[in-house]
Amino acid sequence: MASERYSFSLTTFSPSGKLVQIEYALAAVAAGAPSVGIKASNGVVIATENKHKSILYDEHSVHKVEMVTQHIGMIYSGMGPDYRLLVKQARKMAQQYFLVYREPIPTVQLVQRVAAVMQEYTQSGGVRPFGVSLLICGWDNDRPYLFQCDPSGAYFAWKATAMGKNYINGKTFLEKRYSKDLELDDAVHTAILTLKESFEGQMTADNIEVGICDSTGFRRLEPSHVKDYLANIP
Amino acid sequence: MSILGYNGGAMVAMKGDKCVSIAADKRFGIQAQTITCDFKKVFDMGPRLYVGLPGLATDVQTVMEKLRFRKNLYELKENRTMTPEVFGAMLSSMLYEKRFGPFFVEPVIAGLHPTTHEPFICNMDLIGCINQPDDFVVGGTASAQLYGMCEALWEPNLGPEDLFETTAQALINAFDRDAISGWGATVYIIEKDKVTVRDIKTRMD
Amino acid sequence: MTSILCPEIPKPGFSFDNCQRNATLESKGFAVPKATKTGTTIVGIIYKDGVILGADTRATEDTTVADKNCEKIHFLAPNMYCCGAGTAADTEMTTQMISSKLELHRLFTNRVVRVCTANQMLKQYLFGYQGYIGAALILGGVDSTGPHLYSIYPHGSTDKLPYTTMGSGSLAAMAIFESRWKPDLTEEEGIQLIRDAIAAGIFNDLGSGSNVDVCVIRKGSVDYKRTYDEANKKGVRQASYRYPRGTTKVLDTKVFTVEETVHQLETESMDTA
Repeated sequence: MASERYSFSLTTFSPSGKLVQIEYALAAVAAGAPSVGIKASNGVVIATENKHKSILYDEHSVHKVEMVTQHIGMIYSGMGPDYRLLVKQARKMAQQYFLVYREPIPTVQLVQRVAAVMQEYTQSGGVRPFGVSLLICGWDNDRPYLFQCDPSGAYFAWKATAMGKNYINGKTFLEKRYSKDLELDDAVHTAILTLKESFEGQMTADNIEVGICDSTGFRRLEPSHVKDYLANIP
Repeated sequence: MSILGYNGGAMVAMKGDKCVSIAADKRFGIQAQTITCDFKKVFDMGPRLYVGLPGLATDVQTVMEKLRFRKNLYELKENRTMTPEVFGAMLSSMLYEKRFGPFFVEPVIAGLHPTTHEPFICNMDLIGCINQPDDFVVGGTASAQLYGMCEALWEPNLGPEDLFETTAQALINAFDRDAISGWGATVYIIEKDKVTVRDIKTRMD
Repeated sequence: MTSILCPEIPKPGFSFDNCQRNATLESKGFAVPKATKTGTTIVGIIYKDGVILGADTRATEDTTVADKNCEKIHFLAPNMYCCGAGTAADTEMTTQMISSKLELHRLFTNRVVRVCTANQMLKQYLFGYQGYIGAALILGGVDSTGPHLYSIYPHGSTDKLPYTTMGSGSLAAMAIFESRWKPDLTEEEGIQLIRDAIAAGIFNDLGSGSNVDVCVIRKGSVDYKRTYDEANKKGVRQASYRYPRGTTKVLDTKVFTVEETVHQLETESMDTA
């Protein structure tokens, strides 16, 4: 009962110093579709599962990998509708920055601003926290960046990480496989392998999505391109 | 006379070889009455970044404070030095925000890029339209005279010493034909490793 | 959403803070200064494979030439450019803002944005400000439905035309078009026609001058020819007016040295415990 008494409002701390709504939000993320991100020497890759419950579903109509600006992209684990709101905000903030400074927004700045929005939803009245963790990848200053943003508004810079269902296994797998001299092609390969670790059923180019970011900018890989990578996986 | 000429003032910035100059007069007056002749109109916004604000003195100082605030906040937030280009864009958007009730200043910016040391000059009108030529920019009540002087005197690839003479003479001879600017002047020469500030002798009438 | 806890700086939109003060000053006889105008000759035509835009490069402040080589053909989207005449800051900022909106639209729809969309956004924006934003624009671009050319007036009315001119030099430029434009011009003929129309503006209108900028937009490619033609060359100065060093009497010199900041990063071994 005690925990319920302090979970009616997310702006109220429990006696043990927790904001339980935020922990529940993290639970929503941990139950979401897995996603991974890996930083390579010459770029970043982000990838996620995009499985559909019915064969009637029209694939490739709704995307999980989204571009924010020419050089920044993101994916998520958790709730789709919440994600789309954050994508919209992120794109808008990137454009606003560009209009003021006439310079593309640095990835770190975008991450900070998105995280600020997420934090605000943990401290305002009448709202709930976002049920998503984001992976934001970017390229500026001649180097790749990879960040994770949590519902609490906390953000982390990673060399490689996994989120969503089975993320612990994913991270353990990445810790074994990661090396800092990884090339982008190998990183894509490793990212797909990481997803495969916890993948139930047959992995195809239609039920995963991959985005890559390098000096030429961010792009979502076409299913045909993903298929080529899958062909190399046993 | 428009409100830009209420306090008087003349300003010029020039591009040289691996250096830039910015110079301004020191008069502060109320129309024809001179109040002081040590009025600051050029402000440092970074080690190699200067902004000159000719126009209505009250707005000169307000805009300078606002700029410094925004620039400091940017540098703290992003943990990097602001480049002159970004500074110009920021000032331009600040001025355009007040499109329908502008600040009466016509800024002049001179600086070197913090890492590449590429020279940069620009000026803008009171609502933030940037003009970024390869040679020189002017501002203030003596701008017509300054355009004439600079058009004749400026030449490419001047070193810091020659750039100083050219800038100083262009300014002195321009504001001698402007009743409400002059009364002393300061010339800043900005180089990669040092900034030289010279007060120069002018007519005091 | 405007954040309350960490407000964005600055707030988007115009600020009217100084309006009352400025009105008071004006009532006391201190006129509001004139902003930079582009004067301008800007033109556009549709040719066989797309659209060609052209512009002069003079900006004026009253009768003074404020910028001898300004850029009047603004980027809107990869398939669209826009020439601007009128108040220089307005054309610059309006096109930048619409360019941002078009990019957001492109990301949302996952499609190349159509020219009619840009036209609609521009006219709605300008109409909202009832002509107070002094931007007269020529919008040209190529999309899935072919080439399109619009002229947009500061009050928000628009025309869709096969050839058009705007700005103070529009009459001179239109005279060239009226006598020589025909459907299905080749690219070469088109560029020449644009050059001649702009040159007519440069030489017959005092608000226009300096160089000719040309922008060719075809399906899938753009060719932006900045300074396509230098219609007016300044005579080369035969002697130097350089003052000898020491001409200026210096009263006081201060030297500030600028230290080069170097950050030494120490490498830390990864914690593998």
